[in-house]
This record gives sequence, C-alpha cells and structure tokens, in this order.
Amino acid sequence: MSKDAHAEQAASPRPRPDPAGSRWYEPAAGLFDETRSDDGTVRPHWEYLARALQGLGTEELRRRRDEASRLLRENGVSYNVYDDPDGYNRVWDLDPIPLVIGSNEWAGIESGLIQRAELMDLILRDLYGPRELLRKGLLPPEMVFGHAGFLRPCDGVKLAGERQLILYSANLARGPDGNMWVLGDRTQAPSGAGYALENRMVITRILPSLFRDSRVHRVAVFFRALRQTLVSIAPRASREPRIVILTPGPRNETYFEHAYLASYLGYPLVQGDDLVVRNGRVWQRTLSDLQPVDVIIRRVDDDWCDPLELRAESRLGVTGLLECARRGTVSIANPLGSGLLENPALLAFLPAIARHFLGQPLRLSSVRTWWCGNPGDLQHVLANLEHLVIKPLSRAAGERSLPGPTLSRDELDRLRAQISASPRNWVGQEFAQFSATPTLSDDGGVEPRAAVLRTFLVARDADYAVMPGGLTRVAPSRGSPLVSNQYGGSSKDTWVLASEPEQQVTLWLQPAREQMTSGNRAPLSSRAADNLFWLGRYSERAEGTARLLRTILAKYDESLQYDDPEHAQCLHALLRSLTHFTATYPGFMAEDARLHQPDDELLAVACDAGRSGSLAQSLQALVHSAHAIRDFWSSDSWRVLDSIDTQLAALRTRGSVTIENLSEHLNQVVVALAAFNELTSERLMRDQAWRFLDMGRRIERSLLLASLTRSTVAVHTEPAVEALLLDAILSTGESILTYRQRYRSYLEVRTVLELMLLDSNNPRGMIHQLLRLQETLAGLPTDPGAAGGAELCERDRLALEAVTQLRLVSLDRLVQSGRGSVLREDLDQTMARITHLLTRMSEVITGQYFGHLRESQQLVQARIEVERGPR
Amino acid sequence: MNYRIVHRTDYHYAEPVDSGYNEARLLPRAVPRQLALSSSLSIDPPPSDYRERLDYFGNRVAGFSIDQPHHALSVTATSEVSIEPRSGRLDLFEGESWDASRERLMQSNDPESLLARDFALDSPLVAVQPGLASYAAGSFARGRSLLQSVHDLMERIHRDFRYDPEFTTLSTPLAQVLEHRRGVCQDFAHLAIGCIRSHGLAARYVSGYIETLPPPGKPRLVGADASHAWFSVFVPGSGWVDFDPTNNQVPETQHITVAWGRDYADVTPLKGIIFGGGMMTLKVSVDVLNLDTAVVAAPSDSAGAAAQP
Repeated sequence: MSKDAHAEQAASPRPRPDPAGSRWYEPAAGLFDETRSDDGTVRPHWEYLARALQGLGTEELRRRRDEASRLLRENGVSYNVYDDPDGYNRVWDLDPIPLVIGSNEWAGIESGLIQRAELMDLILRDLYGPRELLRKGLLPPEMVFGHAGFLRPCDGVKLAGERQLILYSANLARGPDGNMWVLGDRTQAPSGAGYALENRMVITRILPSLFRDSRVHRVAVFFRALRQTLVSIAPRASREPRIVILTPGPRNETYFEHAYLASYLGYPLVQGDDLVVRNGRVWQRTLSDLQPVDVIIRRVDDDWCDPLELRAESRLGVTGLLECARRGTVSIANPLGSGLLENPALLAFLPAIARHFLGQPLRLSSVRTWWCGNPGDLQHVLANLEHLVIKPLSRAAGERSLPGPTLSRDELDRLRAQISASPRNWVGQEFAQFSATPTLSDDGGVEPRAAVLRTFLVARDADYAVMPGGLTRVAPSRGSPLVSNQYGGSSKDTWVLASEPEQQVTLWLQPAREQMTSGNRAPLSSRAADNLFWLGRYSERAEGTARLLRTILAKYDESLQYDDPEHAQCLHALLRSLTHFTATYPGFMAEDARLHQPDDELLAVACDAGRSGSLAQSLQALVHSAHAIRDFWSSDSWRVLDSIDTQLAALRTRGSVTIENLSEHLNQVVVALAAFNELTSERLMRDQAWRFLDMGRRIERSLLLASLTRSTVAVHTEPAVEALLLDAILSTGESILTYRQRYRSYLEVRTVLELMLLDSNNPRGMIHQLLRLQETLAGLPTDPGAAGGAELCERDRLALEAVTQLRLVSLDRLVQSGRGSVLREDLDQTMARITHLLTRMSEVITGQYFGHLRESQQLVQARIEVERGPR
Repeated sequence: MNYRIVHRTDYHYAEPVDSGYNEARLLPRAVPRQLALSSSLSIDPPPSDYRERLDYFGNRVAGFSIDQPHHALSVTATSEVSIEPRSGRLDLFEGESWDASRERLMQSNDPESLLARDFALDSPLVAVQPGLASYAAGSFARGRSLLQSVHDLMERIHRDFRYDPEFTTLSTPLAQVLEHRRGVCQDFAHLAIGCIRSHGLAARYVSGYIETLPPPGKPRLVGADASHAWFSVFVPGSGWVDFDPTNNQVPETQHITVAWGRDYADVTPLKGIIFGGGMMTLKVSVDVLNLDTAVVAAPSDSAGAAAQP
C-alpha cells in the first residue's frame, strides 16, 4: 500500500486503527483520550485534523509553534503571574494543536450551559431578593451567609429588567465517564474570552488552510451578542450609551485582555480613578470635562468596587458606585454581588434547585461536591481527604484548591485540623483524572495532557449566547493534574466543528475597525494623558542618558589609549557631568578614586534599575507608562515597545553587561528608542494624546540640554578639554553632523551654544523645543475653572518667559566669564532660570490635568467614645 | 419615656477636602417598643446629594456627598423617640435550655430564624476563637435556660472586665480585650456576641444611646452622654432580647436603639471616603435629654448609679 493510499484510508469516515498516527501521538494509558477511543480508532471529529497534523510532521509543527510565539510576543499578549519577579508580562503560551469538539456533542454542551446560566441567574435574583431558596430549605443559610461573596449592601440592588446575570463562564473537563463535567462557575468578572479570541487569530495565521478546511464555528458571534446586550442594559434610552471597561490596572493578571477587549470592542479602558460619582451618576473624567457613563463592564472583583459601601481600603473602585447601581443610573455587568455564585458548595445543591426552579434535571453534571457544613459530608471529606480536592468556601486572595493526592501526610493532617475547626468553610470535590489531549511538549514531541475548557456566555433577549468553543488550558506537563495559568500551563484554541459549511462571518473585523476609530475620537482620559506625558519625558531621558554614556565610553577608550593628563581631565569632567545630568549623586562627585576606576559606577548608571536616574530605571518607567495605556498602541508600536523591553532585560541581566560590551548595548537602546520616537511622532494623530507625549518630550529635552550645558561649559576649562566637552554636548544632542555642515570649523563654545541653544533651525536645539512647546500648549483644552479674558494662564506665561529668556541672551555675554572667575555667569543663570520655569510648568500641567488623581482616605471614626465629656 | 437626642460629629481637616462621600446610621430605626417621633440630619456644608434608605438589616441609612472644597464637616442628628415599658416581666428562668434552643435554631425554617442564623456566624469584627468559648462555658451549663445563661454571661463580663477608655482602639482585637480584661461598651458587646456565637447561638450588636443620670447633686451636663452599644440574643420562637454588659442591665426604657447588625462594622454611625483633607481631627458629642423630666430645672438627686456608656 502506498503512503498516500494509507492516508486516504485514515481519512475515510469509518474509524479504523491508525498505525501511522501512533507514531505521531501516543495516548496515555488508562486516561480518556480526546482523539482516540479505547480500541485505538481515531474519533471521527478528530480524523481530519489528526491526519493533517501527522502530515505536517512534528518538525513543522514546532516551526508553527515558534511562529505563534513570535506573533503573541509581538502583539504583547501577556498574562501576569503574581509573586514572581519575572511574572509581570509573561508571554501568553499557545499550543498549536487545537482541542476539537464535534458538532453533536457541542449542541448538548451548549444547551447544558444555557440551562446552567439561566439557573445561576435565578439563584442570583433569589438570594439578593426573596431568598425563597433558604425558606424552602434548598440552600442552608450558613452556606449563603457564610460566603464572602454574599454582600449585604448589594441586597435588593437590581439591573432594570429580569435578567441579572449578564456574563457567565463555566470550566468544563471531561471525566473518566467520557462526559463533560462542570468544575466551577465564574460569575463576577469572567476572564478569558479575549485570550480565546487572540488564540483564534493566531491559529488562523499559523494553520490557515487547516482551519479553513475544518469548518470551525466562528467565535466572533459571541462578541456581537455581547455588544448588543451591553447596549440593551443601558439605563437611559440612548442609541449610543457610553460603555467602559473598568480594569484594576496593569498589575492585574489579565490586564492584557482588558486592554485588548477595550480596543476590539471600541470601549474606553478605565481605572477606578478615571470615574467619579456626582449627583448620583457615574462620570468619566476627561481632560476637558465629565462624560456620563451608562454601562460598566467590570474586571474588578465585587468587594473592591466601592470603598464607601464595600471594602473601605480599596483603591481600585469608584466611591459611591453601588449607590448609582441602586438608583439604576448605571448598569454594571456583572452586577456587584454576583461573586456569590462562585461558591463551590453550590454545586452540591444545584440538582435540587434545578428541579425546583426549572422542573428539570441538570443537563450538564457538576463534579461531585461535598459541603462540610453538612455533618454527613464532613465525615465523608475527612475520611477521604487524600482522594479529594479541598477548596475553601470563599476564595481569598492567594488561596488555591488543594488536591489531596499531592499533599504530604503532614499537610493532610493540618488540613484535617483546619476543616474540623470550621467545617462550614470547606468544600471537598472529587479528584478526577480528566481526559487528555495531544499537546506539543517542550522537547518537541506530542504528548497527552489534561485539559480544561473555559466557556463563555452572554445574556441575550430570551436566553444566553454561547461562544462556540472557548479557552482551553492544558496542564504544564504530562501526568500533571493541575490546570491553571498561575501554575504555568499552556493554552489552546478550541474548534467546534460545524455540521455544515459555515458562512464566512468576518463581520467582526469591520465593526471593530469602525469602533476603534470612534474609540480614538473619544475624549482623552486624564490618566492616559498623565501616562503619555511621562512616557515622553522618560523616553527623552533614556535616550539622552544612553547617548551621553556612549560618548563617555568613547572618551574613556581614548584616555586609556593616550594616557595623558588632558584626556584624563576631559574624561573626569565628563564623568562628573554624567552625575549631574542623571542626578545619580554622589556618583562621580564623591571621591576622586572613582574617577580613576569608573567601571563600576558607569555600569551602575547604565544597568541598575534600582538606582534613581539610571538608564535602566528610565527605561523601566517608560515601559510601565506604556503598559498603563496598553489600549493606545498599534501592533507596530507594540513591537517597538517590546524591543525596548528586550533591551532593558538585557541590561538588567546580571553579569552579561561589561564595560567592554556596554557600548553595543547602548547602541541598541538608542536604535530602539529612536524607532519608538519616530513611530509615535509620525503615526500618532495630532490629537490630545500626541500633545501630551510631545510636551513631555520637549520639556525633558530642554531640561537635559540645560543640565548638560551647565555641567560642561558653564565653567571655563583649558581649550583642549573644552573641545572634548563640546564634542560631548553635540553628540549627546545628536547635532554633530549639523554642526560640521554649518560651521566647518573647530569646536568653539560660541558656535556650539549658538547651534544648541539659539538656532531655531536645529530640531535638537533648545529654542526649537521651547517654541514647539508653546505651540502645543496653545492646543490644549482650556482649564474649565480658569477665568477667561485677556490674562495669560500660568503655563503660557512660563513658556513665554522661557522663550524670551533665551531670545534675549547675547552670545558674547554667554561665553564670557565674570571678572576674576571661571564661571560663565550669564550662561549658568539663564540655564538655571529655564530649568526652574520648565520644572514649574511640569507641575502646573500635572496639577491642572492629572491633579485629581489624588489619594482618598477613610473618614475614620476613631472609636465611639471619642471626646467623652466628664462622667 | 420620651427623649430628645442630639448627636453631633465634627471633622476638621488640615487641608481642603475636594469631595466627600458618606453614610450615616444616625437616625433611630423602627423597634418594637420604641417609636421614632421625629428625626432629622443637618449637614454642613450642605450636601450636593442626599438620599435615605433602609439597609439589609432594616437600619435607616442616610447617604450623602459633598462635592465642593471644604475644611470641616459637621453632621448633627436630632431625634425624638418614645419608649414603652416592657408589657410583662422578663422571666429568665423560664424558657428552653440554651442547648435545646440551639437545636431549634438549626431546625426551624420560619423566616425570622433563618435570617437569625446569619448572626450565629463569624462577622468582620467578631470571629469565634477558643478563648471565647472557654470563657463563655462558665455560663452555659448544660440544660440551663438560654436567658439565664446569657444573663449570667453579662454579669460575669461586668464583674471581670474593667471599663477603660484608654485601653482599646477600634482595631483592638477581641483576643486582647479577653486577655487584658479591659475595654469599653463596644468591646464588651463584641465579647458577649463572640461568646454566644461560640455556643452556636445567634447574637447581634446594637448601637444607640443610654440616658445617663448625673451623680447626685450635680447638674446634668449637655454633651456628657455618648454613643452606646450593647447586644441582643435570639431566642428561637420568641425573638430578640437585649442585654447591656457595660451596665449589667437588661435594657428597659433608658436605652435608645439606633441600629443593629452583626457587629460594629455593620452599624458605624458615620463613615465616609474623602479626597484630600490631610490630617484630621474628630469631635463627637451626644446629648440625651429626658423630655419627661426635663421640665424640672434643678437636677433630681434621685438615687441610681450613673450608667456607663
């Protein structure tokens, strides 16, 4: 039989033994395998993919996986892992082999999920309403009242309309019996839909023809339903309700997804302090005014959403938000308090509740669950601890489920004692071996790994829309039962096969584009403006520092070569100016010994991110600011930002940077920063966002130039030394070529100062920065509180004075030193004055546009006996 | 008895407050023997937004916010209430044993008992701990009536613990109060609640005021009174009964109830979040005036020890 004929045979609809396939992938013995039945035949819905992947070969599959990693990295798809220094922005891990689900089975799963979502909705409405479930004995009060997710302030707060649970997620896994089980429910702010979407985008790029020929259901329908539903729950009858996504911020584990969904759906991404409550309504702060907010998709947990009524120490929420929901002036999806449904003990009671509310049995069964608040269940759990997964009733931060089989005898004893002390707070669940699915391992083979599927539902008119497929996550290694991103597993695309060819519903691409532009037209939030401003400042500071360091390294080389007092003197002057320029005091000002052995200090100023003023610290601050406005960046800008991040990581790698190779590192940093500057100044629209970035740049560039000038030529030195210092000014200020073209002469203080300070044709010169700054300031929204009229506002006055100061200087006086002194007083004072004016301007801008981002505090009621009168 | 209560809270801030959001539980709630004749809240500066509602526990909450810069906040609650004496005598010895009551509480499914079971669980400031159970054990002998046990517990707390406003702060944990045997009314209420819950029974925290009689021969001082707190225990089948461990009393007509909850955190009289403000100082004064005796200009030198809040 020829090879081709064999392949044909495997593709025939009748399942047959597949010896070729076994070379490609060997299922684990004793586990349910997604691709093959016990007798070794390939399951029909896997046939096409299995044959195709086998045809590709693992070598090619590895290549495709690398391609996927590259795409994910370039798109900045990340997942933050807590308590891990390198976990911030860990790149999302995607396995190239999808999980396939046949159309018949999916139909059953889908109807089971819809039933479960409806049931969850009914429970939510009941527990914050009539609490019939308690009265009828269907739920023990202790299980409800004792769960941290039951938020008493949320009692009776309802969205308009019947439906309360808008978003719903369930984790599914296939048990040993071959059926899909529900492992748990996510009802507060389910995450993962954005990752599922990104996974799909990447897979369609790395396996285009396979995807096309497999007739896979599109996931976009889910997002279309989501958009429609969010509009429909808006409190005001409005054709264009303002919908925002509330994120806890860049430190959150799924921050990437928040930003990604914000740009995909076209909604502003906001943090708590971007919103404010006034007169019983929620408003978004923008640079010029407050915009009413109608709908909030929140990714902040329930009890962190409102410090007034919920967790008082929260800085992630919006003070007064719950009262707005109570009055019905804002709709929150999901409503506050819905975390109550994440109670794992609920699983034990669901079948009876389904019969009560729906008159039906559950279509999808849950993993077997025991609530230790029931004496019988407690006994069972204590007796079988090592065979169960133990979960706390309320999921506190950092608490994870404990799989009994992985615990030591001591750990089991401790757990037993904990459970016996407060049985009500514990739940036991069956520890099952879930089905395995082929996954590409790190060493290049394909191996079976346990998989869990997170599904996504959104309410629509009469029922729920289900995303076909979802986010599949697989265990970090063969044989590991743990599936969680926090443990470091991988993810997969999920293919639900259509029974008939599906129409190409690419509509999501079109509306998304429209939405994105309308998102950009939306007024700029103060927080975004703040980050853009500092992004501008840090990118300049980093570039200036890198250039100066590079110049110094060159001089350092020369001084070693020539080994004469002049070169040494020049190097020392430059080293001191580096300390001034970066404000890394005491640095080279401290002792002369360091001037003669500058290696360590130079490396520290370049690489030590913990040192304020260092290059690494500026780069880090730059990257942080850029992350905080993740939704602003196109994939091109993101790629450039990523390269900056890579350079930073290289600088920070202990032991890899030496004084010999530092120059090379600096070159790369300068190139990456130049690309970023280029991209942002060319591509960003000349709107408010650009203005803040540009102002940050201009202010910082002028400040750096002033500092550099003062620390090099404000004091007379010998002509030979002075020439070298001037050379450093020009190369740090990127103006050497311009100077040569213009003056074709040796370096002189007078001409260098003319070019760097006064010549408005030099785009790197100071007067150019100040004039552009003036222009940019004129385009800013005016301060709503400022009195109109002819008077200049403070920032304009500062800019005018800085420009005038510089315009009025005479070059003759600038280069002159005072009688009997080596100090060029005019130069020094002019630079000092301009520094003061620009520093003040930065403060004024901060106060005016970002100033409201101030700390809140609790009104403390120290105790109730305060200030007692005489007794 | 008829009372007028004026409860005034003043905050002064070192720096201006841009905006402030507050919740006040200062307006007396509906209680079986207590009728709120009138009550009002006066706020300075005037709030831009004000709304009253009932919370989960049925307490009256006034939510308000101020969105103009201010350096001080003054909130004054003025209420007139009328309190009826108990219709019959409270018989401590009658009624079910505490252990039978506990069984009854867990078995019954009338709405009141179901909701009361919330008050048998841990709450933000009162968590069951071994020390509480063993201290309480002395009062909860098997078969003893529930009310008698709780009354005994109240007496022991009054005897064993010293009233000491210097010792505790709002964040002093219950374990320390228990260890050092000192505290104020709030601590004693929390302590008793923890003891009762450690025996599987339901108890709640009551915040309010007490009429304090001046020492013999001294005039009654305006503002001399303070907020007070005590606790209430749930008797399955008959309802809640109050006890005041600070004064070793079963409240009759001198205790004015404002709000109740699982513990102090549920009924904080005035709480808020402010933006700005810097350092702040707080001054609270409470004046409880007995309207039935107030016409007597000269203070009566009737007997009766001054009650402690």
